[in-house]
Amino acid sequence: MRTASRGLPLLAAALAIAYPWLVPNYYLVYAGALTVMYAAMATSWNLLGGFTGYVSLGHSAFFGLGAYGTGLLVTRLDVPWALALPVSALLVTVFAVGVGVAAVRVRGASFVIVSIALVSMMNLVVQGWRSLTGGSTGLQVPSPFPDLHRGQTHMVFFHLFLVLLGLALLSWWYVSRSRFGAGLRAIREDEDKAESLGVPTAAYKVAAFALSALFVALAGGLYALWFGSLDPIFMFSILIGSYMVLMSLLGGVRHLYGPLLGALIVAPAGEYFLIALGETQVHLAATGVLLILVVLFMPEGILSRLTRRRPGPSIPEESAGQRLEGAAR
Amino acid sequence: MSLLLQGLALGVLTGGLYALLSSGLSLYFGVMRVVMVAHPAFLFLAAYLTYTVHTVFGADPFLALPVTVPLFFLLGVAVQRLLVARLAPENVPMMSVLLTFGLALTIEGLLGTFYTGSYKSVSMEYATRSLTVAGVHLPYDKIIAFAVAALTLGVLFAVLVKSRFGQALRATIQHREAARLVGVPTERVAGYGFGVGLATAAVGGTVLALITPFFPASHWVWIGKLMAIIVVGGLGSVAGAALAAVLLGVVEGVVLVTVDATWATMMFYVFLFLTLLARPQGFFGGRLAHRF
Repeated sequence: MRTASRGLPLLAAALAIAYPWLVPNYYLVYAGALTVMYAAMATSWNLLGGFTGYVSLGHSAFFGLGAYGTGLLVTRLDVPWALALPVSALLVTVFAVGVGVAAVRVRGASFVIVSIALVSMMNLVVQGWRSLTGGSTGLQVPSPFPDLHRGQTHMVFFHLFLVLLGLALLSWWYVSRSRFGAGLRAIREDEDKAESLGVPTAAYKVAAFALSALFVALAGGLYALWFGSLDPIFMFSILIGSYMVLMSLLGGVRHLYGPLLGALIVAPAGEYFLIALGETQVHLAATGVLLILVVLFMPEGILSRLTRRRPGPSIPEESAGQRLEGAAR
Repeated sequence: MSLLLQGLALGVLTGGLYALLSSGLSLYFGVMRVVMVAHPAFLFLAAYLTYTVHTVFGADPFLALPVTVPLFFLLGVAVQRLLVARLAPENVPMMSVLLTFGLALTIEGLLGTFYTGSYKSVSMEYATRSLTVAGVHLPYDKIIAFAVAALTLGVLFAVLVKSRFGQALRATIQHREAARLVGVPTERVAGYGFGVGLATAAVGGTVLALITPFFPASHWVWIGKLMAIIVVGGLGSVAGAALAAVLLGVVEGVVLVTVDATWATMMFYVFLFLTLLARPQGFFGGRLAHRF
């Protein structure tokens, strides 16, 4: 069991690294890179959503800001891309701390409203601030690898997104084993109780919010360098934010690999729809229906189904007697 | 000065319309503690149905109402009974937002498929002129929108206050368990509450179709605006939402004529965030909203 649980992720990682050489054409490399990007963003979303139970539909705000930050640093200030990427992500994280302080004051539905409002605001700002961002005509970012052809660029970015996914997974794993993670889980189960037990709930929530914004911003920055052309309507679309939520819920928010699994299902399905039906609105309806089905019938996700964990609190309520029996067995 | 008056007058007219558009949201939140993100999508569904009635039959847009209002009432009951009521009770606030969000995406996708993504509009000859009072131009379409909104809200208030159903509905909003104890069938009443909410969306959608061009993704802008209105007014309070709607309508109108359209829309979010920072339960009602 131990070797299996250690070995399987390593095997999967090796396969993932080799993926661009295993597939027959560059389109599949491109689709793979997109999938890994969504997986990294969903895993990062899950740092907030999975641990604390705060559902943010607005994480595309950080995606867009990370992308525009990187793009503007490269184009307007001639910062080398390898520096622009982390600088922009850090700026977005600082911004997320500010937003977080206001946003986590409210719970439940109000928090979701705030997160939706955040995206709409950012969209307005970027479209309205024409002189800086190019407004709705978009922003062109020069390619960081001008010598490579399109397919090779896809391969490079596939691996960059893979590194980002690895970082996000490691952070989630590390947080889940830490005191910080335990505090965040306590917030999910009962925030008032956690507070009265001495968990610094406000600080923890802001920290989780900022951490999950950091990786999404990095993904946005990489996206800007990869695609080279930013359009505010796409970058700040609420659809990207809802993809993160859908992927995490579908896979299982309480599991390390849940969002990854969700991304592996949803992102290729989206690409398939795009090829099979062209640029229609049907994929929107399909996403919506899938979200409704997941919320209604499988809010705990696929992995919870597979591992047969009962839905409910992660800390089972059992009596002292049951505990003793379990220890004796 | 006359510019300011113009903004003020337009703001009041638009605010009246906002009050109608957001009244449904207060009802859903009241009866089920559900933030219905799909409400604006239903508004535009109604707008498109109105468009069909207008273009296919050449009828006046308001003649669509006898069809859409009962249809939307039934839809609302169905949404509550078949979808919202099935959610696991422990996490209704979050899950209901996701559920209705999925509903909004579905509606937008279907509208885009059937009507294509291009702008549509319903223009009536009588709606294009404007009335001039003391140097202030009041477009007829805005006046009609205000009048319809006032009429609908008047009927809604009368139903809520006078009728037996309204009493049951308000009892359900105030205290679900207590209402059940005195014999109110709260499940059924909650379903009707959703029906009435969506019926207001049918009226609101027709009015929207008359005053503004629309495309399937238009509802996103309205989610932000309407959510800001009900948060500022206090979640779950119909009267609070109406007051906040007029307030924000006036602010928007004044900023629109003095600064520009971007800032006018931005005002909604500014008010939303200020309210959450200063008074998360809202300014006019909202004893309910405390923990949501």
